[in-house]
Parts: sequence; C-alpha cells; structure tokens
Amino acid sequence: MGGPIAVLHPLDRADGSASYKCPSTGSNILGSVNAPIELPGRRDALKPEEATIEVFVKPGTAPGGVGERYVEGILRTALGRVILGREKGYPRRGVVITLAIVGGESVGRGGSYLPLLPALLHTATLALLSASVPLSVTLSATVLAVNSAGEITREPSAKEVTTATSLHVLAFTSKGHLLLNESEGTFTFDTWDDVYERALAICHGSSTFGSDGDVAMAETTEGQPLDGIVRDTVEDHIHRDYAWKIDAA
Amino acid sequence: MNKEAPLSIAERDFILDALREDVRLDGRGADEFRPLKLSFGEEYGHVKVQLGKTSLIVRISAEVAKPHDDRPFDGIFNIAMELTAMGSPAWENGRQGDLETYVTNVLDRVIRHSNALDTESLCILKGVSCWTIRADVHITDYDGNLIDASCIGVMAGLQHFRRPDAVVKDGQVIVYGLDERVPAPLNITHKPLSVTFHTFDEGKLVILDATRKEEQASEADVVIGMNNAGDVCYVSKFQGSPVDALVFVTKTTVALEKVKHVNGIIDKALQADLAKRSKGGLAEQARAENDRPVA
Repeated sequence: MGGPIAVLHPLDRADGSASYKCPSTGSNILGSVNAPIELPGRRDALKPEEATIEVFVKPGTAPGGVGERYVEGILRTALGRVILGREKGYPRRGVVITLAIVGGESVGRGGSYLPLLPALLHTATLALLSASVPLSVTLSATVLAVNSAGEITREPSAKEVTTATSLHVLAFTSKGHLLLNESEGTFTFDTWDDVYERALAICHGSSTFGSDGDVAMAETTEGQPLDGIVRDTVEDHIHRDYAWKIDAA
Repeated sequence: MNKEAPLSIAERDFILDALREDVRLDGRGADEFRPLKLSFGEEYGHVKVQLGKTSLIVRISAEVAKPHDDRPFDGIFNIAMELTAMGSPAWENGRQGDLETYVTNVLDRVIRHSNALDTESLCILKGVSCWTIRADVHITDYDGNLIDASCIGVMAGLQHFRRPDAVVKDGQVIVYGLDERVPAPLNITHKPLSVTFHTFDEGKLVILDATRKEEQASEADVVIGMNNAGDVCYVSKFQGSPVDALVFVTKTTVALEKVKHVNGIIDKALQADLAKRSKGGLAEQARAENDRPVA
C-alpha cells in the first residue's frame, strides 16, 4: 500500500487549494480555501472578534444532503480550533473552505462519512496551508475499522467498512494531542484504547516527545507517519517555489 | 452577491481598443479556442477539462430508479451543476446565482433536449425500473466560457461512461457489477456542442471563447449549439444589446468548423484512453462484434 498523494495549489482562482488522494480508501478530494474574504450575505452572523469559518462539502455524484451538513459541522469545529481567527485582518471576515469529492466511491444516502473524514481533514489542512491562513498547529487524521474478531484495519476499503463492528476517526495535532474523535458502532473502552495507540502510531510514528515539546518522528511498521506526509508536501512545495533563491545561494 | 469584481474603466477600454485593432489579450485570433486539454480518470465517466485557465471535472454516474409515470419507456438523464467558491471567490456556497441558472439551462437545452443521450435505451423494465444517468459538473477554476467547457465535459463524459449491465429474469432486474460483466456504453444519438460568441462595439466585433475579462467587457453573448452534421439544435441571444441577424448566419459556419474540431479532440482523447485501458487485451476479448473483412 502506497501512502497518500497530495498536491498543493493545483487551482488558479482560489486563494489556496490542495488535492489529496488516499490509495487505500480510493478517495480523491479537491479542496479550496478563500480567506480572508468578505461574506456580504451574513453581516449579522459575522463575529466581531474572530473569523467565521465556513465549510462546504460537495459530493461527487449526488446532490448534497444531511450527511454533508453533518460532516461539515465536524470539520468546522475541528478546524476552528486550529485556525487562528483572531489574527490581523481576520475578524469579521470569512474563511471559506470548499471540499469536492472528485474521485472514488460516493457516500450513498444515509451512508457513513467517517471513512472519508481523514481525507477531508488532510485536504482542508493542506489547502489552509496553501492559502497561508494562520494556524496554531497542523493536524493529521486516520480512520480505523474494528471487525468482530477485534482486528484493527487502517484506512479500510468500502467492503471492510460494511463488515466492521466499529469505525473510529482520530485526528492529532502536530504536537501529538488528540484533536478529534468520532466513533461509530459498538466497542469497549479497551478497544478504544488500542485504537488510540494504533492511530497515534500511524499519525506520528513511534512518538517520542522531546524536552522542548517537539515530536521526533521515526518510520515504523506503519510506514511514513501521516504527519510527516503533510510536512513533506509543504516542504516540497516551498522547495519548488523558492528554487530561484536556493539556486542563487 | 455572486458577482465578480467589475472591470475598471481603463481595463475595459484597453480590451476594447485592442479588439478594434484585432488583438486579444492572450494573442489569439477572434475565432480561436484556447488550448483544450481532456483527461480521463480511472473510473468511467470521469473527465477533466482544461480550456485555457477554465477547468472543470465532470462525473457521470448511473443508478437504477423508477421511470416517470408519464414516460414509462424512458430512462432519466440529469445534468447537475452547482457553482461553489472553489471556481471563483465571487460565488457563494449553497446559493444559486444567475450564472448557474443560465448555464444549467443552456446545457439542458443543448444536450438533454436535443436528445444527445437516447433515454429510451435506458429503460430496463417498462414502468418499473430504468437507469438514471446523472452528470455532475464541478467547476474548479473559472476563467470565462463556462458553457462551452461544461458542454465539452458532459459530452466527453457521456461517451466515456460505461453503465453496468442489467438483465431482466422472471420479472426480476439483476444488475451485474463492473467486474462481473462487461459494462455497456451509453447510446449517443449525436454529439452536440455549444459555441459561445461575445460581441463588442455595437455588434461590430465578435469573438469566440471569451475569457472572464473579455466576458465582462462584452456587450452581449450569442450561443450556438450544433452537432457534427451541422444541425443547429440551440441558438440563444440571452441578454445584452441587440446583435445583427447576419452575425448568426456567418457565425454558424464558424461554429460548425469549431464543433467538428472539438469533437475530433474528444474522439482522439477517448481513443487514447481506450488504448490505455485495453492494454491487457480485455476490451478486445469483450467485444462481441467480429472484424468485418473489407472487400
């Protein structure tokens, strides 16, 4: 299984954009961020001391519905904790995040959005980075399925999702703190603890916290940690953008 | 708001003065399309269209549904387009603007009402079940000429799409998965495309495939929809100042030439994709028809 493929700034018009492809779940998400932007339609809803965050999820082959509104709510709360909406120029403005599902299986009516949630979170994070929106930390997320035998599968395929007894999405900040936990199905506390350990290893590798609070990341059996993929994507992009400067030095 | 930031007077004059000297901002001729690039995804009916800086993704999907009561023999075909803040910061998520209504209407007229997709072939069991074909247009970058770009995308998608095979056995409809039976292509009756012209200077200057800035500086637009055979299936002069009738006559000829050209590009892209897919020889094995000896 190869790691996810992410591209920063594939679009022209939007302030920031990212495309993200997860090979194991087959999902392909295109995200764009416009920020800070005037939201003329909602003058009374705008908050005077911080930015209004708006998330829009557009399904690939179906009209949007309740499922999308639900996942938008989850994304808005999670990203709201990461975006520094009180920075200069942001209060009374909007941060508009648009995520379109452009590839892979569509979520059917009433289907669970959890398998797609990590891809949506990663796309949103990368798009925010590409739009240079001030963030307190970056995040990485993963989805785990637990089947009736108690086996934990990382980033399950559509078939594995249907046979799973419980699904868990966990997101961690770049400092290794748990940022988001969404679970579905029946499970015990012990199962959740196992899931947590596994998810932390996937997102951060064998996490060893340095004295300065930084996380030292190492490759483990889980392959490259997801947090590292977010970092690498941004690093590659900066390297390309500043090629002229690096060459000149 | 759903409105792009207006052009400044200086910018407008610049575009207009340049056009009077037969020069366009990107150096194209008046009757020239921007470079068109088509690419197909892994799934059937997944098309990416890049027309200059305008880009969009079309996804075609099929679902079994009940046909409309008044048309028990017909399948259902829908084109869904929703403009999101991804395409342009001026568009608001979840709110329908004028442009969205207009473009959806033109696409409906050019492709759906001209019966480009034979809906009768989508019937599985009379009055009980039929295929619903849905074309989703996702605008990823907007730089003018949404109509032609989406039209190209939807038509290419319909030709690329394969629907799962379905059979009726003892009154029961069985749908076979894509890996169980060879999926069937859709029945396309003709290949209509739209060509949009914009007029300037009281209708004296007419250009094709305007960019966003040219669109904003223009007086009026003329949309001509036609197929390879030269059958005009749609003509519209939706808004703006009047246009001389002769423009329609002369530009129809230009439109025919462009439609043939673009359809050629679509065919070429489809063939290249088919060749890539049939590397394992699966398409050859699955083909039912025999090679006909040419006498």
